Amino acid sequence: MTESVIDIEEVRKRYRGGVEALRGVSLKVPKGQIFGLLGPNGAGKSTLVKILLSIVRATECRGEMLGKPVGDKATLARVGYLPEHARFPEYLKGEEVIRYVAGLSGVPRADAIKRSGELLEVVGMKDWANRRMGSYSKGMKQRIGLAQALVNDPEIVFLDEPTDGVDPKGRLEMRAVLKMMKEQGRTVFINSHLLGELEMICDSVAIMDQGKIVRQGTIADLTEKTRHYEIRVQEALGNMLLEKLKPHGVECQGELLTMYQQDAGRVQPVIDILRADGVTITSMSEARQSLEELFMETVGSHGPGAAMPPKIKQKENV
Amino acid sequence: MRQILTIFSDSYRLLKAKKLFWVALSFSIMIALLYASIGIGENGISVLFGAYSLDGEDYQMSPMLAKFLYLMVFTDYMVPYWLGLFAIVLALISVCSVFPNFLEGGAIDVAVSKPISRVTLFFAKYVSSLLFVAIQVFVFCLIVFIAFGVRMESWNLGIFWAVPLIVFVFSMIYSVAVLMAVWTKSTLLSLFMALLVWGMSWAIHGIESLTYRAAYTAAAQGVAINYATGESEVLDEPQEANQSLVNIHRGIKMAGIPLPKTRDTTYFLNKLIKIEGKDLTQKSAFYAEAEDSYNLDMQDSVEDYENRHSVGYTIGTSLAFEAVMLSLACFIFVKRDY
Repeated sequence: MTESVIDIEEVRKRYRGGVEALRGVSLKVPKGQIFGLLGPNGAGKSTLVKILLSIVRATECRGEMLGKPVGDKATLARVGYLPEHARFPEYLKGEEVIRYVAGLSGVPRADAIKRSGELLEVVGMKDWANRRMGSYSKGMKQRIGLAQALVNDPEIVFLDEPTDGVDPKGRLEMRAVLKMMKEQGRTVFINSHLLGELEMICDSVAIMDQGKIVRQGTIADLTEKTRHYEIRVQEALGNMLLEKLKPHGVECQGELLTMYQQDAGRVQPVIDILRADGVTITSMSEARQSLEELFMETVGSHGPGAAMPPKIKQKENV
Repeated sequence: MRQILTIFSDSYRLLKAKKLFWVALSFSIMIALLYASIGIGENGISVLFGAYSLDGEDYQMSPMLAKFLYLMVFTDYMVPYWLGLFAIVLALISVCSVFPNFLEGGAIDVAVSKPISRVTLFFAKYVSSLLFVAIQVFVFCLIVFIAFGVRMESWNLGIFWAVPLIVFVFSMIYSVAVLMAVWTKSTLLSLFMALLVWGMSWAIHGIESLTYRAAYTAAAQGVAINYATGESEVLDEPQEANQSLVNIHRGIKMAGIPLPKTRDTTYFLNKLIKIEGKDLTQKSAFYAEAEDSYNLDMQDSVEDYENRHSVGYTIGTSLAFEAVMLSLACFIFVKRDY
């Protein structure tokens, strides 16, 4: 059984005014994985992360992070965090920001100096380490943000929209850093709306909608049910042939034949029919729903930006 | 401890990055050097390192009176007007943005997600912000200490009492700014409210001191006032205090109890600095050799006026005010979701 670094149940958050941001979130994050939390704006992703990091207090929360109850301050020494729209003091130099966060995390001074040097190199900021934050571009600030999240040698790193404002080259480098973190045995918890990016790096994901986790699992598991086979032929098929293929569940759109089958064995008779009729097959492949398609299917018609948390019905004044 | 030191070190860096800090420090040094240029001795008084001097029989005085007058320039002019007013206003303008900036989204998240309690974080940030004033006043006092030592050949460490006293005065006003900052996250509003409370306190205590003087000091000095005609005359004998004025004074004093006592706190410097065992509030002792009996009588009533509030009352009520402000601010800071 896979060990979980985060195991929470029935996490609820009700803000003043009755807005319910989280409506009973249960989640398990396996150790050593890159885990992605997806959801439209207002789904409660950031609130959930902030509850895990003691930034926001849960109305109700059961569960543990790194084997300790959520909210345990000492556990936070083993956690790294890069918030969305991170702001670091403009009067500090890049290196000083990393050491400042190390100090707040309780990292001894000598270790902080050593680690900050190493991390500046990892995020490609060594040459700019002695410039003030105020002189950095957004992408450079984000790199420093990533470095400070790692300065306490954390077991879990929470990254809220880490590629926000980062150029394509920077994103590529950031993906490499995330993979490096995973290789080092860290668990990486990413909040992002860049589904394509997450699909490339995440081992497992959870989709949040309206304050609840609506799907969770590895990307392969989540898209398993949508696995199908696509056969491309040189020319569009005639009606006679299409009639022969219908009982096998083949859908045809021009030169593309689609079979919603998870068993490759069931595709073989279709190939036999096509070959017997002298049809030229140009390609055949296994296909699955993309993370984006899965996401859109899950969050449904309201989509990103449209999901406002429901309001609790207020008790009527007598 | 490592976390607290980190917050202090960050505040020091912030301080260094603020231009206003360097401007205020430059002014402080200039004013302290101006003080150092004053010479008060047995043969007279000189300013600007002897460029202008007043000497002759009228200006001759005992070494003890010279020391007293030299320190009085510091305690009665430099401390209340420069350190206790202008330097504090400059400091307030500089550090008012510390908490609102700290509370901005994306900044506070990092700090509160670390293994440090919010109470410790709040107080470390608050206390470290007081560095602005502490450094200014320390540098000022150091120059005054050296100037006094060199000129009077007496090294009076009591001068350094100005550092905790002025920092305490600043901390009272700053506590209002901090409460407003954690409540509203607005720099402007916190600065405005701090100045407003300070101004209110200054006005109420100013009126209190005026009514005290009218009710008690003037009567003790034999000043008889006819409130119907507005005429006054100075009599040989002390007069009975006017009951209406006494009641007015009592009412105003009551209104001022919950407010911070900034003026009175800086005045305590006079009690803490001593010359040959006598503190600076004992003016009559210093004037005794030179002044006539009338003036000594006047000094007695002035001393009564200046010492009308006990240390316990002034410091106690001020501390209570600051404790209430900080407790409320800390409560909001700790309970808030960021």
